[in-house]
Amino acid sequence: MKKLSQWCALAFFVAALLFAGSARAKDEPKPQKISASAIQIVPVQSDEVKIPAEFQMALYEHLIEELQKSGKFQHVYRDGDKAASDSADVITLRGNVTGFKQGSERKRQVTTVSGATSITIHCQFVDRSGAVKLERDITGKVRFLGGNLRATYDFAKKVTKVVDESF
Amino acid sequence: MKERAVIPTVFVAMAALLAVPLHCPPSYAQQAIAVPHSKQVLGFENVKPNKKGTLSVEKGTLEFKHGKEKTDLAVTSITDVITGDDSQRAIGGFVGTLSMFGPYGSGRFLSLFRTKIDTITIQYRDASGGLHGAIFTMPQGKAEDIKKELVAEGAKTSIPIEPAAATPQKEAPKQ
Repeated sequence: MKKLSQWCALAFFVAALLFAGSARAKDEPKPQKISASAIQIVPVQSDEVKIPAEFQMALYEHLIEELQKSGKFQHVYRDGDKAASDSADVITLRGNVTGFKQGSERKRQVTTVSGATSITIHCQFVDRSGAVKLERDITGKVRFLGGNLRATYDFAKKVTKVVDESF
Repeated sequence: MKERAVIPTVFVAMAALLAVPLHCPPSYAQQAIAVPHSKQVLGFENVKPNKKGTLSVEKGTLEFKHGKEKTDLAVTSITDVITGDDSQRAIGGFVGTLSMFGPYGSGRFLSLFRTKIDTITIQYRDASGGLHGAIFTMPQGKAEDIKKELVAEGAKTSIPIEPAAATPQKEAPKQ
């Protein structure tokens, strides 16, 4: 009998904690969404960590493709596009590579557990005045199926998710 | 008797054919270069990713022919050409994917067999100044030829082409 009451007390305590947690989450103000009608993509920089040229271009092209697919922006401009200067509230996406590990597709296929490729990029969303509106470290990975360049596709997908949440 | 007459004629004809290149001056005009079995990985405008076809450079144009369609690009709009190397599964495509489910790890075993390939990354600007990046893969040893041809026809590159192997220096006599 005593044990049962102890279990009841424990269950009540856990339920109270969960309720308090959810109530706090409701009270917290949601981060305000950033408004922008257009985005311009700049190729990622690799000042300290060097990445192969094909990775740099694959990152750039996948970002453009995925952001166009998301439909969050009226225009997705490429680097150097003259039309971007006419847009009033254009956000520029800049990235700097902070981590890169080139794995091996052969190792992935043979061992399944090793040979992963990963690329970490510090992303900044900058407005026309140069103010940083949002910055995140985003990592793209390929663990099992696909070539090394698939990590760039994974990265672009994750960036699109961040954009969906914040814009 | 007839055979005797034919044989000298054949010799004369062969000798004449061999002598022709000696009298003709070598042509230094730009030769068109075409690389079949190339693959457009991504980025080339109006071409779907992973399309296979023939990549060629001719008369100031980079052309990718896939099936009946062809897409071209003015070489002068290319701002950078970079070559690299990679490898791909010897048995690829649908059969390659199916083989991964083979019994007793046979799929994994087949993954060990890979062929070396060259990659070429091209950066170019469109009419409105927008930057594009296209990646192609091709059989080993072909990317450098394409790069040389592109640079010769006016494309820019951030990594200069290495000069042809210099004539080996004579070893100093051992004393």
